[in-house]
Amino acid sequence: MAAIAIGLLPMIFTDSYWQTNLIVCAINVLLAIGLDFVLGYAGQLNLGQSAFYGIGAYASTLLITQLGVPFWVAFVCGVLLAGVAGMLLSIFAVRLRGHYLAIASLGFAVITYQVLLNWISLTQGPLGIYAIAPPPPLAIPGMPAIAFSNLGNLFYLTAGFALLTYMLLDQLVRSPVGETLTAIREDEVSAASLGINCPKWKVFAFGISSAVAGAAGCFYASFVGTLVPDAFFITESFSILAMVIVGGMGTLIGPVLGAILLTVLPELLRSIGDLRLIVYGVSVTLVVLFMPGGMVQAARLVAERLRRRVAATPAKAKP
Amino acid sequence: MTTAASARMESRAPGAGDDILFRAEGLQKNFGGVQAVSDISLSIPAGVVFAVIGPNGAGKSTLLNLMSGLYQPDAGSMAFAGVDLIGMPAQRRVRYGLARTFQKIRLFKQLSVLENVIAGFHTHHDIPLWQYVFHGAAFRRDHGRCHAEAIDLLAFVGLKHRAQVTASALAYGEQRMLEIARALATAPRLLMVDEPAAGLNAAEVEALLGRIAELRGRGMTVVVVEHNMDLVMKIADRILVMDYGQYLFEGVPAEVQADSGVIAAYLGGELQ
Repeated sequence: MAAIAIGLLPMIFTDSYWQTNLIVCAINVLLAIGLDFVLGYAGQLNLGQSAFYGIGAYASTLLITQLGVPFWVAFVCGVLLAGVAGMLLSIFAVRLRGHYLAIASLGFAVITYQVLLNWISLTQGPLGIYAIAPPPPLAIPGMPAIAFSNLGNLFYLTAGFALLTYMLLDQLVRSPVGETLTAIREDEVSAASLGINCPKWKVFAFGISSAVAGAAGCFYASFVGTLVPDAFFITESFSILAMVIVGGMGTLIGPVLGAILLTVLPELLRSIGDLRLIVYGVSVTLVVLFMPGGMVQAARLVAERLRRRVAATPAKAKP
Repeated sequence: MTTAASARMESRAPGAGDDILFRAEGLQKNFGGVQAVSDISLSIPAGVVFAVIGPNGAGKSTLLNLMSGLYQPDAGSMAFAGVDLIGMPAQRRVRYGLARTFQKIRLFKQLSVLENVIAGFHTHHDIPLWQYVFHGAAFRRDHGRCHAEAIDLLAFVGLKHRAQVTASALAYGEQRMLEIARALATAPRLLMVDEPAAGLNAAEVEALLGRIAELRGRGMTVVVVEHNMDLVMKIADRILVMDYGQYLFEGVPAEVQADSGVIAAYLGGELQ
């Protein structure tokens, strides 16, 4: 069903403005489900997602522009490098929990941003890297080559990758790995008493989460064509966090909905000017206050109410 | 192994007389200036119910935390079935067959009763790595087996009908039983229960005693930390009495009841 939706969307939204937004949605979905894996399932508050996003973007781009590495090789390297960075951070931060882990990972995001900004010989700092090529055309024998300079095709690529990632993560969280991570989230001492090596599994969750963010970064660079450090400022971590929370932590579909809503909502509100930022902020606050389970919780409540109404109707009809 | 030790076991656990399952020598644990556990030695034969009793603050729970690996001792040695436990983290001890419950209940509160038990199968999954992301036949077989075994364990502790309930919604006594079911899911050889009867009503205590006896009947060794003397006298094969972190007495229930030192320290307050 999701595949059909992905297939139809660029045909419905044919103008480049909305197609651009669709691609941003797909990238944000990747970032959100990646963060949810470590936050919603393993319960580790990671605010370093902007850094892993940036590492994926810069690593793949520099490999392509500086060393002439083919796009897909650079893509794999960017994903791996972001994943390894996440694992290294968590090896050091694995003893920390809650607020302390949040601060440590936020610190990592600040450091990464400063490195991107000030290592001018490598990243060109605030001047940025320009004219980054889109992914090379995909040649399938017997068919015309699929060019990713076309926004619709680029959306198919990023959304297809996001869907694949979603399906893999979904299988993973429905396996004993999901049980293990949620056990760690609920109570680490209890988890250890059942034989769970909590530090090892936290490093694993961080690695997966940051690798997914790295993939999002690779797509971002080839889509926007320009890289500046400001795209990976720490506020990006909080935007991703908001998507996860508004959608519903600890489910995979929640962050997907949250990412789409919080990407599209500011665009829809563009007509009201700067007021949209206030509307955006207020709506996120309201969700956190009144619906801490996010959109998924809201949907469950509505479904429950409907079920009750359906169940109540025949009972009334009898007497 | 001393001949005295093996003779003691043979009288208590026929068929298991070849082994002291758990052995500790001179265990010591200090918190700041307080000696929570001081020079405790114990030998637990396989297949018995071994109780650790003492007044509140006697160091019983600390001893259990040392045995399960939640704390590391400041001095002393410990071995389980011949494997040295010093320096071994709690999660590794589970793989050798040690399991425990907690005095202050530590369930996975937001998970269902069934999911709590299934988490206990962590060390017993039999799935090829790739099937974690591409669920195949082996995955489904493992899933079905865990589900069925978890239901069996819930039936054993009388919670089968509550399998789908969120753990935090259980009554207090049910939560204690769920902790036991979850610990049993790790397939332990030595089950350590920390004050399992605290907060239970009389009927629940009776059921608990029956379950501990049944586990012993299946060949499991059970360590019960408890300050309820009546309960311990009914179920224990051997009793270690602690007071102020120190060894006070060890013996069979009748010996413990007869010992003047135990009476003075533990029961004496009211009698005098």
